[in-house]
Amino acid sequence: MRFRIIRDSLSRYACGFLAASVPLFLAAVLLIVVASAWPAIMFNGWHFLYTLPWSVGNEYGSATMTVNGFLAPKGAEYGMLVFFVGTLLTSLIALIIAVPVSIAAALFLSEVAPRRIAGPLGTLVELLAGVPSVVFGLWGIEVVAPAVKNSIGPVLSHLFGFIPAFRGPVGTGVGLLSSGIVLAIMIIPIITAVSRDVIENLPDEVRHQGYALGATRSEVIGAIILPYARNGIIGAVTLGLGRALGETMAVLMVSGSALNYLPGNIYSPVGTMAANIVALLDSAMIDPTGMAVHALAELALVLFILTFIVNALVPIVAGGVVRISSMLPTAAEFGGHRE
Amino acid sequence: MRTYNRRKLVVSAVVLTGLLFAASSAWAGGTKEASSNGNGTSSASSSSGGKIALLETGSSLLYPLFNLWVPDYTTKNPNIQLTTQSTGSGTGIAMATNGSAQIGASDAYLSDALMKKTPGMLNVPLAISAQQINYNVPGLNTQHLKLSGPVLSGIYGGKILYWDDPAIAQINPGVNLPHHAIVPVHRTDGSGDTFIFTQFLSDSTPQWNDSIGAGLTVSWPAVQGGIGAEGNPGMVQAIEQNPYSVAYIGISWLDQATKAGMGEAMLQNQAGNFVLPDETTVKAAAAAMFKKTPQDERISLIYAPGAQSYPIINYEYAIIQTKQPNQAEATALKAFLTWALSADGGGAATYLNKVHFQPLPASVSQLSIDQVNKITG
Amino acid sequence: MISISGKRRSAGNRVWTLVMLIALALCVLPLADILWVIALRGVPAIKLDLFVTSTSGVAGGLANAITGTLLIVCAAVALAAPIGILGALFVSELADRRTAALIRYAADTLTGVPSIVLGYVCYVALVVTLGWGFSLLAAAIVLMLMMLPYILRTADLAMQRIPVELRQASYALGATRSETAFGVVLGASLPGIVTGVLVAISISVGETAPLIYTAGWSNYMPTGKLFHSPVGYLTYVIWTFINEPFDSAHQLAYAAALILIVLVLIINVLGRLTMRRRD
Repeated sequence: MRFRIIRDSLSRYACGFLAASVPLFLAAVLLIVVASAWPAIMFNGWHFLYTLPWSVGNEYGSATMTVNGFLAPKGAEYGMLVFFVGTLLTSLIALIIAVPVSIAAALFLSEVAPRRIAGPLGTLVELLAGVPSVVFGLWGIEVVAPAVKNSIGPVLSHLFGFIPAFRGPVGTGVGLLSSGIVLAIMIIPIITAVSRDVIENLPDEVRHQGYALGATRSEVIGAIILPYARNGIIGAVTLGLGRALGETMAVLMVSGSALNYLPGNIYSPVGTMAANIVALLDSAMIDPTGMAVHALAELALVLFILTFIVNALVPIVAGGVVRISSMLPTAAEFGGHRE
Repeated sequence: MRTYNRRKLVVSAVVLTGLLFAASSAWAGGTKEASSNGNGTSSASSSSGGKIALLETGSSLLYPLFNLWVPDYTTKNPNIQLTTQSTGSGTGIAMATNGSAQIGASDAYLSDALMKKTPGMLNVPLAISAQQINYNVPGLNTQHLKLSGPVLSGIYGGKILYWDDPAIAQINPGVNLPHHAIVPVHRTDGSGDTFIFTQFLSDSTPQWNDSIGAGLTVSWPAVQGGIGAEGNPGMVQAIEQNPYSVAYIGISWLDQATKAGMGEAMLQNQAGNFVLPDETTVKAAAAAMFKKTPQDERISLIYAPGAQSYPIINYEYAIIQTKQPNQAEATALKAFLTWALSADGGGAATYLNKVHFQPLPASVSQLSIDQVNKITG
Repeated sequence: MISISGKRRSAGNRVWTLVMLIALALCVLPLADILWVIALRGVPAIKLDLFVTSTSGVAGGLANAITGTLLIVCAAVALAAPIGILGALFVSELADRRTAALIRYAADTLTGVPSIVLGYVCYVALVVTLGWGFSLLAAAIVLMLMMLPYILRTADLAMQRIPVELRQASYALGATRSETAFGVVLGASLPGIVTGVLVAISISVGETAPLIYTAGWSNYMPTGKLFHSPVGYLTYVIWTFINEPFDSAHQLAYAAALILIVLVLIINVLGRLTMRRRD
C-alpha cells in the first residue's frame, strides 16, 4: 500500500513537472524576445510605433550615434508603421472576404445540404486547411497575382473607381489585394469548420420551434440560428484572424515587399510584420552594432503582443465556450497553424 | 463499450514509428549520395564516416558558379560534401561570421566595423564579376537603352517617375520613350548586388551619397509601386512579370534575363562613355583598379576610370573564418579554395564563361592564395 | 423579420440558398484549383529517381528533403508527445483547478505565437548561443514547441470527455488518483490523443520559416547527427526553388509540393479513421 502511495506522489510530480514545461517554454520565449528587443526599445522610444522610415543606417560607415546609451550606425531610424498597417490591412481584407463566405458555406453544409453531400464536401474543406502555407504562396504567385493584374484589378477599378482605394493604377499584381485574397483562402477552412461545428451543436429543438411556426429555412437561419451561434462564430473568426496576423511565407511571396511607404490603393505592394522579419533578418545581421537585429526583435515583440491580444479576446468575446468546443479533435484542429 | 483493442493500438503505433525510423535510416544508408563506412568520428565537426560536410551560403550572384563547381569537385573528391545555398550576401557574411556556414559567399567585403567586431575573418576574392541593369519596356527590349548613375539615382530616389522623363530622353536621343510610370525593383534581402549598385549610385551621384549611401540594405526612398524581390532570380522574375520595370541584376543571371526577352542597358562610365558589360569592358575596369588591392583584399572596384571601363564590377568573395573548428575542416576548405583559385581548376574558362565572370589577375590571385593559406584548424 | 406574404418568403428562401451555394463555390473552387495546379505540374515531375537521389544545386531528386522532413518531424513528435500526453494527464486528472487553468492558458497562448518568432528564438538560443549550429536537434525542438501545446490541449479535452462514472468506479475499487489516471483515463481517451498527435504532425510537416533558421539546408542525406549538421526538408525546396529560373528547379518545387500535400492528406485520413473508432 505504501508503495502505491509513493508511486502516486511520484507520478503526480513527474507529470506536473512535464506539464510545467509549457508555461516555462512560453516564459522563455517571451524573455528571449524582450531581451533581444530591449536595446531597440530604448533606442527607438515611442517613435517606433508611429514613424514610417525603416533604415539600418550607414552600415559601412564608421560613424555611429548613441541614443539613450545604445549604439547604432549613423542614420539608423526604425519605425514599424508600414508593417503594422500592412499586417492590419491584409488581415482586414482577408476577413472581409473570408467571413461572409465561410459563414454562408458553414450554414449551407449544416442546414441545407443533404447529408450525403455535406459529409464529403465538409471533409474537403477541412482537409485543405492542412495545406502548407508555401503551397498557398506558390498558388498565389501562379494564379492570384496574375489574376489581380489582368482581370480582378481592372474590373474593380472600373466598377468602383470612384472610391479612392479602388482607383488604379492596377500595378504589378503583387500587393495588398493579392495578399488579402491568399490569406482569405487560407483562413476560410478554419472559420468554416469551426462555425459548422458550432451550428451543428445547437440543440435541434430551437430549429424545430422555428419550423413549427411556419418559418422558411432562411428565416430560421436568420432569426434563430445566427443569433444563437453568434458567439461561437465570433470565436471562429478570431481563430482565423489569429492565423492571418502571423502568416509569413505565403504573404512574403505575394506582398511585393514594400518599404518606407504606405499603400496608396488596394493594388499597391505592402509589407507585413511577420513577412518582413524573415525578409530583413539576414541583412540585419550585417549591422556591426547589432541594432538592426534588435529592431527586428522589437517588431517580433509587437507581433507577439498583437496575436496575444487577439487570442485573449476569444474567451472574453465568446464567453469561453467556443474555445473548448473549437479545440475538440474534429474539424477545427486541422487548420489552426500559422506560418 | 470499447470497440478497439487498446494494447493493439499502442503496439501498432510504436511499431509504426519504429518502422518509420528504421526506414529513414535505411534510406539514408542506401541512397546514391551517402555511404557511411561505419567509422564515425567523434569530433565536433559535421563529418560522418570520413566525409567532411561543408555548407556554402550567400550571394545569389556567385551561386550559379558554385553550382557549376560543386558537382565536378565532389566527383573528384568524394570525401567532401559541399552544399550550396542562394540566400543573399548578407546571410553569407552573417552565417560565416557566426560559424553556421563554412563558406559565406558575398559580393561585398566586410566593413571596417565588422572586421573590428569579428577579427579573424578572411575576405577571399575568387573571381571578378559584374552587374547589369535590366529593364522591361515593351518595344525597347531589343535595343540597349542608355542609362547613367545620376539617372538611376533619380529613378530609385523617386525623382524620375516616367520613362519619357527629360533626363532619360537626353541621353537617348531619337528613342521613342513611352509615357509610363517606372517600376523600380530593389532587393529585399541583404544583398551584395545592392551593395555594389548603391556604391555605383553613391560614386556617380553626390546627392545619393549624402542622403542614402551604400550598403547591403539601404532605406529605399518611397516610390509608389516600387517592388522588392528576393535574390537575383527574384529580380529576373519581377521584371519579367512587370512591364515598365527596371532592376539591377548580377551578370551570372544575364542569360536568364535575356532569354526572358528583357532589355539590357548601357551604363555611362566615369569617362562619359556608354558601355555594356562584356569581357573587354570588365577587364578594362579591372586593369585600372586591381593594383590598388590591399593585402586583406577589401576594395571597391566600382566606377573605375578609363574610356572603356564598365562601371559596376566587383570581386566575388568567399568569407571564411581563419580559425576553423578542427583540422579536417580546415584542410578540406583549403583544398577546395585552392582548387577554385587555380587556373585549371575552378578558374578555368569553361566555368567562368558560363557565368560571364572574369578570372582574377595573377597578383590578386596570389593574394587570395596567401589568405587561404592562413586558414588553420 | 418574418413577413406575411408566402410568395415573398419562399423567394427570399431561394435567394439565400443561392447565396450560400455561391459562397460554398467560392470556398471550394480556389482550394480545388490549388490542388489541381499542384497536381498538374507536380505529377509529371514525379519519377522513381526522385526518391533515391538528393538535390544537387537546383536539380537532382528529393530523397534528402523527404528523409529530412520525416526525421525532423519524428524527432519532434518523440519529444512533444510524451510531454504533451503526460502533461495533459496532469492537467486533467491530477492537478488542482488553479494550476490546471494556468497551464491551459499558457498552452493556448503558446499556440498563438507566430512560428517565425519561435524560429528566431531557437536560432538565437540554440544555433548561435549554445553553438549547436544548424542541426537536427534545434529543428526538432522548434517543431516540438509548436506541437506541444496542441497535443496537450487536445489530449486534455479528450480526457475531459471521459464520463466521470468511469473514474468513480475506479476509485470505488480503491485505486489512487494516478492509478486511475494511467490505468483508466489514459486508455479510454487514447483515440482522441492519437488524433491530436496526428493533427500536430500535419501542422509541423508544412512549416518553413522556423526550419530555415534551425535546420539550415543540406544537399545530402541526413547523417542522424544531432548537432552541427544541417538537414534538408521539403518546404525549403518549394520556397527556394520556385524562384530559380530553371525548369529543373520548378519541377522539383512542384514535386515537393505534391508530396507534401499527399503526406498531409494521408495524415488527415488517418486522423479521421481514429476519430471514427471513438464512437
